[in-house]
Amino acid sequence: MQIFLRGCEFILLPEKALYKPDESLLIVADIHLGKASHFRKSGIAMPAGAQAADYDALKKLFEKIQPQKVYFLGDLFHSTFNKDWHYFEELIQGFKHIAFTLIKGNHDLIDATLFERLNISMVDTHLEDDTFIYSHAPLEDVNGKLNISGHIHPGIRLSGIPRQSLTMPCYYLANDTFLLPAFGKLTGLYIVDRHNEAEVYAVLPSGVRKI
Amino acid sequence: MAKTDIADTWFSIKGWTPYDFQIKSWKAIGSGYSGLLNAPTGFGKTYALWFGVLQNFFAKKKRPKGLHCLWITPLRALSKEIYSATERVSDDLGLDYSIGLRTGDTSAKERTQQKKGMPNGLITTPESVHLLLAQKGYPDVFKDLEFVVVDEWHELISSKRGVLTELALSKLKAINPKLKIWGISATIGNLEEAKDILLGSYGDKSTLISSKLQKKIEVETILPEVIEKYPWGGHLGISAIDQVLGIIHQSNTTLLFTNTRSQCEIWYQRLLEKDPELAGVIALHHGSLTEELRIWVENAIHDGLLKAVVCTSSLDLGVDFRPVDTVIQIGSPRGVARFVQRAGRSGHQPGATSKIYFVPTHSLEIVEGSALRYAIAHDNIEQRIPYIRSFDVLIQYLVTLAVSEGFKADEIFEEVLKTHCFASITREEFNWCLSFITEGGKMLDAYDEFHKVVIQDGIYKVTSRAIAMRHRLSIGTIVSDSMMQVKYMGGGRIGAIEEWFIARLKPGDTFWFAGRNLELVAIKNMNVLVRKSNKGKGAFPSWQGGRMSLSSELSTTIRLKLDEYYKHGKKDKEIEKLIPLFDEQERRSKIPHPDELLIEKAQTKEGYHIFVYPFEGRNVHEGIAAVLAYRIAKLKPMTFSIAFNDYGFELLSEQEIPIEEALENGLLDSEGLSDDVSLSVNITEMARRKFRDIASIAGLVFNGYPGKQLKTRHVQASSGLFFNVFSDFEQNNLLLQEAYDEVMTFQMEQVRLADAMKRMQQQKIIIKELDRLSPFCFPIFTERFREQLSNEKFEDRVLKMLNQLEK
Repeated sequence: MQIFLRGCEFILLPEKALYKPDESLLIVADIHLGKASHFRKSGIAMPAGAQAADYDALKKLFEKIQPQKVYFLGDLFHSTFNKDWHYFEELIQGFKHIAFTLIKGNHDLIDATLFERLNISMVDTHLEDDTFIYSHAPLEDVNGKLNISGHIHPGIRLSGIPRQSLTMPCYYLANDTFLLPAFGKLTGLYIVDRHNEAEVYAVLPSGVRKI
Repeated sequence: MAKTDIADTWFSIKGWTPYDFQIKSWKAIGSGYSGLLNAPTGFGKTYALWFGVLQNFFAKKKRPKGLHCLWITPLRALSKEIYSATERVSDDLGLDYSIGLRTGDTSAKERTQQKKGMPNGLITTPESVHLLLAQKGYPDVFKDLEFVVVDEWHELISSKRGVLTELALSKLKAINPKLKIWGISATIGNLEEAKDILLGSYGDKSTLISSKLQKKIEVETILPEVIEKYPWGGHLGISAIDQVLGIIHQSNTTLLFTNTRSQCEIWYQRLLEKDPELAGVIALHHGSLTEELRIWVENAIHDGLLKAVVCTSSLDLGVDFRPVDTVIQIGSPRGVARFVQRAGRSGHQPGATSKIYFVPTHSLEIVEGSALRYAIAHDNIEQRIPYIRSFDVLIQYLVTLAVSEGFKADEIFEEVLKTHCFASITREEFNWCLSFITEGGKMLDAYDEFHKVVIQDGIYKVTSRAIAMRHRLSIGTIVSDSMMQVKYMGGGRIGAIEEWFIARLKPGDTFWFAGRNLELVAIKNMNVLVRKSNKGKGAFPSWQGGRMSLSSELSTTIRLKLDEYYKHGKKDKEIEKLIPLFDEQERRSKIPHPDELLIEKAQTKEGYHIFVYPFEGRNVHEGIAAVLAYRIAKLKPMTFSIAFNDYGFELLSEQEIPIEEALENGLLDSEGLSDDVSLSVNITEMARRKFRDIASIAGLVFNGYPGKQLKTRHVQASSGLFFNVFSDFEQNNLLLQEAYDEVMTFQMEQVRLADAMKRMQQQKIIIKELDRLSPFCFPIFTERFREQLSNEKFEDRVLKMLNQLEK
């Protein structure tokens, strides 16, 4: 679905990622790779199959969009180093022509040198240009720019018929903040408010739809 | 002290004569039996078993130094009471038999002391026994244990705490095969089964001792002067408030039982408004108040400081309150056993009559007063359905054993097979549990680093201290709700409220909680900060606990009682009172005989209605209604809105419902029933809710530990996430299957649903066309909660909801 933010074209992909055609920039938030492994190392039997699906989905997404640049808006690799890193390495090395940047999130605890070895540039808090600020968690002071961020894992609950409701991930625009849905399978949803000033774009299996 | 006449000596000191059941119990224990004792409260059932235990101990030539008897109770408060009762005996007789307490309240100092040398008798809870099993050296602690007494077994049996008890017994029995197991139970419909479940299949000689003593129960229904012909439940019984106040004033201390926490708050407030002089001598008590507040109220009842306490099931169980002489039940108790138990909270002296008043919340409910009295007189008491195949508890137990001594798979498999809960599991299923704790289910590849339980020389062990520590802190099966904590600005917790209620309030808004008018100041994390308010207005919170459903015993009796309308001669006063309503029902439609199934058809501006009256309780109605709607929709595509109460259900549609045609096409057939249930009811959603507890018990999710700071931030995920990923990637996960099984057994009441369908199929069907709504259908018509039956796709449902929102 195509939308314009501050006059600039963006595509809201049903894969839960944002594409900015003028820069050939793909933006992905909250993938939480390695999460299943991290849990499993701690004795919690999170099924590893879900994580395998994430790697698969990322690979397909890169192949479909063929971006020149990718921004990871934080929480790329969950917590400390684990052997899942091998899969991550394999994935990134398959796309050597893409310039990857990671904007650090609260779950990104892995040493920067490991990312640098894969040619992923690492940014501590945010990246900005004249119009947009990219960060993990939404920032408080954005100087009138639009803050594109993740961290929240926004979701929406629809209920029309009594005692029936459906929840789904969404993109969310309110004031100076644009939130991306979490990309990873192993993430939950935070149900956001649907107040009048907010624009909500729900992610349905067939595509993105404004609500 | 002589060997076998300890009981006689003590009873003669007290000047008491033992009851038959006490003598029988002493004899049975003396002859090496295990068993179950069924006796009413207030007649000395504790002593019936305790003296058996003591006499066994003192008859020995070589008395063990350590643990001889474990006394398991479901409540800490009860543990304390048992402790004082048994200590009294030791004091009176100067017996050298040490007794200790071990519950969640036991201090670290006392625990350490117990570690050095266990008392002869230990009074404890199921969770504390498992904590003992999680400590190194437990086989030595329990090696001389000869008795386990499980108190209030009827309470534990239908919960997963019962499963914990069964598993603990399987271990204790393996350590000492000569161990005798005894239970104490109130009257339930399946006493014999309850005994077998407790005793497991160890082949011990056993007996069921039932006291002939009957506690007299007098039931009085509070009848309105004039009855509404069109019953409506919206007023929560408040219209009877003057009569209720009258009863409170005549009595010493009254317990008012309500069915929900919200109703409890409302009744408390209304009573105070109506009679301000009750301020200071009336209190309220429910499960969402802090433990400190509840204990304060309980102590105040004990000390005779309170005139009335408005409460919920939170006071069903517990120590005897001597000052309580009157009990009032507001609204249908939904089950005979629950009603009897509540009645028993008054009149504790042996031989005293328990008086209970029943306040119907709408006119049709009046008939339940008469039904309850009949059911009590005829001993129609509900069965308690035990949990079986609870793999979450088994997984927890296996890790518990791995944390302390470690275990051998073959041995434990043999042991758990002897419990009722796990008697039917296969070796494959057991192996799945082992693989779940050693490999984390399905291993994908060589990179996997799953680490929990490891196998060393055939012994399953936990080697990581962090995992052991986290496990010990999460032993148990009581999962706390994730709610927001309500606190005063200056500190001081009041209780917990669900998030959705708080979300509707803004700072400055007032609401009622814990009987206080509170102003919302701020919300911080999961804490709601409040201050007292004098505004005296605001909303009452409600909590979304499952609504109870009418039991089979009570619903059967109601069907029987309705038929009294047709009988000549003297009727119960409840039925007499209802005659104007029954006349109206008969004029507009019909009162069904027990062998008839009444179906009413009506057309209103909302559409076409079908009302059906199986009188089977809301759970079963929900299932039957969905199945019927599904089957009718197979004849021609249509969408239904479904409403139900404990007496019947309604299908509503925009199109005319071809009920006659559907009946001819096998609408009520039992064949294919369970398939149709799973196709028509949103079982997945129900299972997802059940999975919350399962995930927590099996150690997938942590609930946070009060006062304990643990680094779990990076290993926190919701049970819903686990449910989703298991459903997508690990269909064969036994925990997932367990969630669905629990829905079918406890929520859909599968067995009862099938029985109800069979009965309906055999009944004579009476179809009545209504020109105006009947008294029977009116309360269903006004039900606010409606279910939708739809076989549309997810996308279509979203679009439909969007259209509705856009209207």
